[in-house]
Amino acid sequence: MTRAAKRPGLLRRLMRPPRRLTFTREGRYFVVVAVGVGVGAINTGNNLLYLLLGWTLSFIIASGILSERNLRGLVVRRRPPARIFAGQPFLMEIAVENAKAKRASYSIEIEDLLGGRPLDKKCYFLKIPPGKTQRTSYRHTFARRGLYTLDGYRVATKFPFALFRKSRDLETPGEVLVYPPLVGVPRPSPQARRAGETTSARLGRRGEFFGLREWRQGDDRRDVHWKSTARSGRLLVREYEDELTRRAVVVVDNALPADTLAAVDADDVDAATTAHLDALERAISVGASLAAAYLEAGWGVQVVARGQHVPMGVGKPQLARVLRALALLPAVADDVPFERFDPRIDSVLVAPRGLTLGNRPPRVGQVMEA
Amino acid sequence: MRFAVAHKTSSYLMVGCAMLAMITGGAVSPVAILVGVVGLIGSWWWEPPRVRIERWTLAWNLLSILVLVWAVSTAVLTGDFLGVGGDFLIWLVVAKAFNRRASRDWQQLYLLSFLMLVAGSVLNDDLTYGVAFLGFVLASTWALILSHLRREMEDNFLLKHADDRSERVEVRRILQSRRIVDLRFFAGTGVMSLGVFVLASALFLTIPRVGAGFFMKARQGQTFAGFSDGVKLGGHGTIKDDDTIVMRVEIQAPYRGRDAPYVHWRGVAFDEYSHGEWRRTRRAPTTRAAIDRDGPRHETRYWMYQRDDDVTFRELEAERDGAVRHHVWLEPLGSDVLFTASMPLAVELDVPARPGRARATRNDEQRLRHDGGIRYTVWSKIEPPPAALLRAAPKVLPRGFEAYLQLPPEITPRTRALARRITDGLTNDYDRARAIERWLRDNLSYTLELADPGDQEPVDFFLFDRKAGHCEYFASAFAILARAVGVPTRNVNGFLGGEWNEYDSYIAVRAGDAHSWNEVYFAGQGWVTFDATPASQDRLGRGGSGIGARLRRFFDTLRFQWFKWVVDYDLGRQVGFFKDVGRWFKRQAARVAGAYRATVRVALDHAIALAAIVVLAGALLVRRALRRRRRDGGARPPPRHRDRSTMAALYGRALRRLARRGLPRDPATTPRELAHAAAARGLPCAAALAELTELYYAAEWGGAVTGPELDRARDLVADIERALDAAS
Repeated sequence: MTRAAKRPGLLRRLMRPPRRLTFTREGRYFVVVAVGVGVGAINTGNNLLYLLLGWTLSFIIASGILSERNLRGLVVRRRPPARIFAGQPFLMEIAVENAKAKRASYSIEIEDLLGGRPLDKKCYFLKIPPGKTQRTSYRHTFARRGLYTLDGYRVATKFPFALFRKSRDLETPGEVLVYPPLVGVPRPSPQARRAGETTSARLGRRGEFFGLREWRQGDDRRDVHWKSTARSGRLLVREYEDELTRRAVVVVDNALPADTLAAVDADDVDAATTAHLDALERAISVGASLAAAYLEAGWGVQVVARGQHVPMGVGKPQLARVLRALALLPAVADDVPFERFDPRIDSVLVAPRGLTLGNRPPRVGQVMEA
Repeated sequence: MRFAVAHKTSSYLMVGCAMLAMITGGAVSPVAILVGVVGLIGSWWWEPPRVRIERWTLAWNLLSILVLVWAVSTAVLTGDFLGVGGDFLIWLVVAKAFNRRASRDWQQLYLLSFLMLVAGSVLNDDLTYGVAFLGFVLASTWALILSHLRREMEDNFLLKHADDRSERVEVRRILQSRRIVDLRFFAGTGVMSLGVFVLASALFLTIPRVGAGFFMKARQGQTFAGFSDGVKLGGHGTIKDDDTIVMRVEIQAPYRGRDAPYVHWRGVAFDEYSHGEWRRTRRAPTTRAAIDRDGPRHETRYWMYQRDDDVTFRELEAERDGAVRHHVWLEPLGSDVLFTASMPLAVELDVPARPGRARATRNDEQRLRHDGGIRYTVWSKIEPPPAALLRAAPKVLPRGFEAYLQLPPEITPRTRALARRITDGLTNDYDRARAIERWLRDNLSYTLELADPGDQEPVDFFLFDRKAGHCEYFASAFAILARAVGVPTRNVNGFLGGEWNEYDSYIAVRAGDAHSWNEVYFAGQGWVTFDATPASQDRLGRGGSGIGARLRRFFDTLRFQWFKWVVDYDLGRQVGFFKDVGRWFKRQAARVAGAYRATVRVALDHAIALAAIVVLAGALLVRRALRRRRRDGGARPPPRHRDRSTMAALYGRALRRLARRGLPRDPATTPRELAHAAAARGLPCAAALAELTELYYAAEWGGAVTGPELDRARDLVADIERALDAAS
């Protein structure tokens, strides 16, 4: 199930103060000392204590001004890794550019904001010289797959005197897609009887003409069926029988019982619901792993689920498509039918263990319960 | 500078300044000062890895307990809690400096130095405190910033992330880095601390002085050798000239400037002479003063000088307004006497919150109990009445004034005979007094070498045997001789003249200016000053104009300003200051308004010419805009230069890296050709370079650049750099 973090509402964003200021331990002591000196000055009339009071107050004011200048002119960018899997740590690169012409920024903390709240990790920059960019990474793990919307950054500093921690939020929305985790699964062996196998052996490299399909990245240009292309206005290529021999359809059952879905919608998640959700996540994870295993072995893979369909494809681009689709695959009711797929191709149905669901495809090669 | 050295230096500077602020007040014992200075210097080298500090912790703890026991017992026995507290504070600082290990120890050291500064505010109100405070502000800015950075380093910075784990990086390496703080850092934060100081000063001036002063402890003074609240003749030895400043006076013309004449600063007066000693007796008339109170703590005292009691304040004020006004800043003298220019008419002052019981004063003295320095304003009639009026004064003595004719029996007949001989044939008191004054000046000489008169009556010894003496001898002789011929006279002590300070336009009166003279009573005219001591100098410019003297006066100005604006700054002064500021703003506003009116007037006078200039300038601007539009063909203005140049800069950065790795772009090669060349060579960054090249083309010749494109370009440059670094 996708757990996309919600961005805070407009009103909440408008109401948010431009800066947050919290006392540090030293800051609390400093203020107590300043109050003490103030009381002493008023009680004794000792002008030198008034002078000290003036110093403590001006120190606090200077601290506010300098921290403000320290936070200004910073441009933050993040660079997530190419693929992020749920449950696996990854490194998020954070780059901070000091766009100020002359002044360095010191002691800068950067936190990524997810749902208006900072992640548990922060990046610290001791000094960012003027006009320079510095990079560092934080290590983080997303527990579940889905599309995460990072709202922006919280840029904070305790500079110059560590009396206060001042922070400002920079709104730089960015999305991070977290794939389902890949687990080690046995790749089911192809079924023994296959008419196409003998045919393809007989007809040679290209096999027997099987049909037409839409052109995909990587297809041979010689296979374009120009007449049909001209007629339909879409680029169509010939499909041969031998391509079916190393193909698989991974069918993922993304249905949940109606009462489980209702409980999730009502945010009334009990142990049984959690078990159902976990089973679904496992099924999706196994489906993704299976697809990855087939693709790595050079097979063409098609992924089919209820209301979702990833057309047949091969190689790394197909893996990206499959992972993206499974990362975003929603849970649906079991009255939603599966997308259609060619029954002649090897197929594996991955279903959540322990769930009795209707509307299953009538003819699948094998069934795996996860 | 290495980070660790910069941090340590600024921290020691901060602690040193705080210690200086406390120990220069003189209240801390010399042993504690020695321990503090030597200990602080020694602790500089007492640190790991040279010393294993934890081995010495027990010894330091035991020593600290011993010092605590000593401090408590000494404080209880002597009652000097403040001084002993200062000593103990110094010990704590030294102990902490020897036991510093982590950031927390440094922070405790900073807290202790702040406490020293607080203690110094009570123990030391001298200018040295101000200088140390300035140093503290500067050093504390550096120290606290560096301490914060160090703490952050130790706490959360030095983590090196890998895919599967994070590990700590060596802190010591960063502490030895020279790249974190440089000269620019110190200069920038130095300027900032100057801003902090200015802001602190502004806040100091602004915070309302509404203090109740319940536990007020003002400046404690010492009694100066030069001035004495009594006069006793007959001592022997040498009077030493004391340069300590006892008061500063801002006074009106003609008594200001290097050529201004000396003024007698009247303090105490005596009526009875006996056995070489002058005293105030109960027989002497009490000082008659009318007091006008303005609020509970502010009053003006008018000298009545035997005037009728029913005189109104309006009359007194009218008389006062014609007199010479001067402001006096009196240093702590260990005396409650208020000094005024002779002859005073009124004194206006703030009465301390706890005045104690007012003492009845005599002989027209003014006294006010004050624990430390005090500031007041005086109106005096310095010039004596015309001689003709004094000659014509009737010989009438008010009740109680017989005290000023008192002569003790031990006055020798030859002294009385001398008085008669000097004044023989003179018909009025004024001429008699002048004759005696002249005789003493002409026939006797001034000396600071004192001789012992033995059993001889001191005035007789001075007049007939020694024939030389200091001012007290001359004043005493004058009084005895004048009284011997029936002239009512009293002996007065105070200061004479002073040194003009050209930097801040005030007279600095030193302890060495202590003087003794006389006042003679003339009915209807009051008391008139007579000074029989031969004058060695009588101009305020006596200090000379050499560099040393000027420097001395300059530093005294600083001290004066320190006391005037910091130590003695009170509500009255604050109100006056803000009134001055308000007046300044009003003046500036009036000036601006005047300039505005003048401009408008000029504009109206030349309205036609002005209109013509405006129309012409407008026409020129329109023409220029039209020309530009025609030249650009009505196209939209080009995208912001900054975006294009940012892309160009990024591309240039990639080019420089490529050139360093052996793939320079010669002028005939286009960016695309270079990208192809990189691909042909199989460079790992070829794909990124190709994409960057296209972005560069788009930015330079394809119109506006979007933010994401720039971001992408930055990432590509980073990729190229990384790939080239990895390949090398």
